Amino acid sequence: MKRILTAGLAALAVSGLAASAEDATWSPSTFTLDNGLQVVVVPDHRAPVVTHMVWYKVGAVDEKPGKSGIAHLFEHVMFQQTDTLAPGEFDAIVSRNGGQSNAFTSWDYTAYFERVAKPQLGTMMDLEADRMRNLVINDDPEGPFISERDVVKEERRQRIDNNPGVILQEQVLSEIWKGHPYEITVIGKMEEVAALTPEDGMSFYREYYSPENAILVVAGDVTDEEVRALAEEHYGKIPASGTAHGQRKWQNVPLLTETRTLTHSDPKVRQPSWSRYYSGLSRFRTPREANALDVGLQVLGGGMTSRLYQSLVEDQQVAISANAYAYSDLHDEGPAILSASPAPGVSMDDLEAAFVAQLDKILAEGFTDEEVVRARNQLAATAIYARDSQSSMAETFGSTLALGGTIEDVLSYPDEVKSITTEEAIAAVRTVFGADRHYIEALLLPADGAE
Amino acid sequence: MKRIPYIAGLVLASVLASCTSLGPEPAPVTGLESPAAPAAPALEVTVHEGDFAKILQFTTPGGASVWLVSEPSIPILSIEMAWKGGEAADPEGMEGLANAVVYNMNEGAGDLDSLAYQTRMEDLNMSFGCEASNDWTSCSASMLTENAADAMDLVALSFSEPRFDQGPFDRFLREQAVGLNTRETSPGYLAWRAQAQALYPDHPYARETSGDSLAALTPEAAKAQMRALMTKDRLLVTAVGAVTPEELAPMIDKAIAALPETSSLPVTPDIVLPATMPAEPIVVDLPQPQSLVQFAGRGLARDDPDFFAAYVLNYTYGGGGFSSRLMQTLRVEQGLTYGIYTGLNTGEHLLTWSGSGQTKNESAGDFVAGIRIEMQDLVDTGITAEELDDAKAYLTGSYPLGFDSNAKIAGQMMSVRQDEMGIDYFDRRNALVQAVTLEDVNRVAKEYLDPANSLFVVVGQPEGLN
Repeated sequence: MKRILTAGLAALAVSGLAASAEDATWSPSTFTLDNGLQVVVVPDHRAPVVTHMVWYKVGAVDEKPGKSGIAHLFEHVMFQQTDTLAPGEFDAIVSRNGGQSNAFTSWDYTAYFERVAKPQLGTMMDLEADRMRNLVINDDPEGPFISERDVVKEERRQRIDNNPGVILQEQVLSEIWKGHPYEITVIGKMEEVAALTPEDGMSFYREYYSPENAILVVAGDVTDEEVRALAEEHYGKIPASGTAHGQRKWQNVPLLTETRTLTHSDPKVRQPSWSRYYSGLSRFRTPREANALDVGLQVLGGGMTSRLYQSLVEDQQVAISANAYAYSDLHDEGPAILSASPAPGVSMDDLEAAFVAQLDKILAEGFTDEEVVRARNQLAATAIYARDSQSSMAETFGSTLALGGTIEDVLSYPDEVKSITTEEAIAAVRTVFGADRHYIEALLLPADGAE
Repeated sequence: MKRIPYIAGLVLASVLASCTSLGPEPAPVTGLESPAAPAAPALEVTVHEGDFAKILQFTTPGGASVWLVSEPSIPILSIEMAWKGGEAADPEGMEGLANAVVYNMNEGAGDLDSLAYQTRMEDLNMSFGCEASNDWTSCSASMLTENAADAMDLVALSFSEPRFDQGPFDRFLREQAVGLNTRETSPGYLAWRAQAQALYPDHPYARETSGDSLAALTPEAAKAQMRALMTKDRLLVTAVGAVTPEELAPMIDKAIAALPETSSLPVTPDIVLPATMPAEPIVVDLPQPQSLVQFAGRGLARDDPDFFAAYVLNYTYGGGGFSSRLMQTLRVEQGLTYGIYTGLNTGEHLLTWSGSGQTKNESAGDFVAGIRIEMQDLVDTGITAEELDDAKAYLTGSYPLGFDSNAKIAGQMMSVRQDEMGIDYFDRRNALVQAVTLEDVNRVAKEYLDPANSLFVVVGQPEGLN
């Protein structure tokens, strides 16, 4: 769907990264234009198709107090009008060229993309370069900015307000990130979105949209030289604005200092669920520890063979699902999460007691080398499978670089994750789920009187 | 459009080989670099050199009909298998049986119980799983080329010695029991059910699982149904990856060796939609702030002479994202929705032209009225020549985007096989789009779109519907 928020409320799920750096036939490259625009080229010659993305180093994290949702609403506005394009023309031109365009906003970045047959790459660059420099925001009080605000309100209803589980998740994330800009969901608070003005949009544009604050990623049937020539031609002529300061509002997320329980009851809930959100890690800030946590979580609750699933779902049959996972791909620390849903006839109290008893037992016993090797190989293999998708490779490089990482960070991931030891994996989960750690417990329940 | 169905020399080689398949000729040239294993018998491979994919077509010695795109640049292999026949073949009163079959296909085989089987898949960094739809049963496997033979051995074990153990079977039943509850507040399910009950209440497509039907399911019944659904004669295989036909054929033959040759399945009748749709929207109450609006009318089959005219019209109607009239009017101009889309549904036995979107409950009446107005406008005045050009430009220009990954190509080939469009379909398709005329499109609009005779289902707490 158009104009999407990255993964709804949450950050990107832990996605597969790249294949081994030893692969000689596959060599992403990077260079920077004189105006400061960084360019990344990810060759994939299987089909005469390219994915063209522009990433801006701005996200919901950077919004001013009271202006929540501006990063995302502004992303919608970027499709509307420039000095030379009337409203609607951007989409029309992309479509007439056989292209698909879209965009998404997260806490950490905003990205725009077009997927086209290779001969249309220059035209797509022309369009993106145009709106990087020449955007017009119509300030008619009855105009498109206002109707786009209504669209975003419908988007918020569709993504969040219609879904009891997401309503609860929004409350929990707000608690776990209290005091940090991540505490407000990317789409923003309904009443603040409703009050955003065209002037807010224009000042946001001036502050963040400029070549020196952007990354161009081209994946597909191209070479470094081809992209360099096209990028110089289309983007090279845009001067650095000088108004993009490049300062981000990232900060450390402190550990939770108090344990709380949040409950959401809703007549639409017919299957309860239980979860606990603990203070977690950031792969950007502490990559080794975050990789160790991923391996540990995979063993603990990463799938059907995991310890929690085998005990709670298979052996004890108290749960219908049991999982452990983390949001480690944000710039700042995200939560590590334990969750389960009860089997028919099992109370939430009994489910929680069984879950906690099993968790304590596993943390005390530790992991075997065999299961850790299997978990880390699986994580490394996802990087190979991920190469099948041109657009997800473009996203992996774009998101990594937008957070301040490097191409090498992407390429070395399989080797890095394979080097995690059994000791590191168990230490990571023992630390994050330690008895001294606080957590937010979240209970999603049927409304009183519902089945 | 460029079309090279065959490379002459290769085709000749294939034809020769097919005349004398046990003769002394060397294996036909396949255009691939790595030669076949020296002792392998000649495999008759026909090469279809198309604009979007070079398809290697062959029948394995074991009888499987395979379309392969050999793609060496990424060390992975994707295989899809499909058999015609699925949920609609569940016996009356045993709804859920096909789902029980597919659920259990990776839950243990041979000496491996569920945990051992799943662990083995992880050891091999592979995936294998099956699913059922109304009319198809499908399995797909992804593996790394370096251990593809071991991975396919595990797949073979599932087809030859599936266990259908009571443990995983009971877990399936527990999950289904939860599903019976959760579906009652799922907007998509509620809309589907309302539509099925309104349009084809007595057809097998309208049947669904219930507490009683789940209670009737047993591992033995599921195992027997697996043998009925997965037979050699109905099997279609597509594959994309770093593998040659000579390498792939024995792996597939081993996998299917134990499948029955054939079986008989009940015949599913075609659905004839009611001549008159309910005049007013069917409302399904669900406490949520937004309403889901779903609408449907008559559709066309893939082989209908007017299919492509309808396909092109659908782009302007509601299929083309921001370029569609519904999106322009209801989202861009009126801010009533985050998105509204339409599409042609070409099921084996059900043809509809349908659409859906969501809007806040307060504006549901305006939203439904707006959809009807756009539909009527297409009936009355049709689309413009410029809109037709735009639709064709997008539909033809974007077609290559569906062929940029192994998984997409394997899926595209399977769709063509399931719909029996022919191995040259990818190369013919853009010309079929280009051949559509404005007269075709506007005639089809009058013939098929009818705002006064379309079914509307609204799930939520809508306001303003009269």
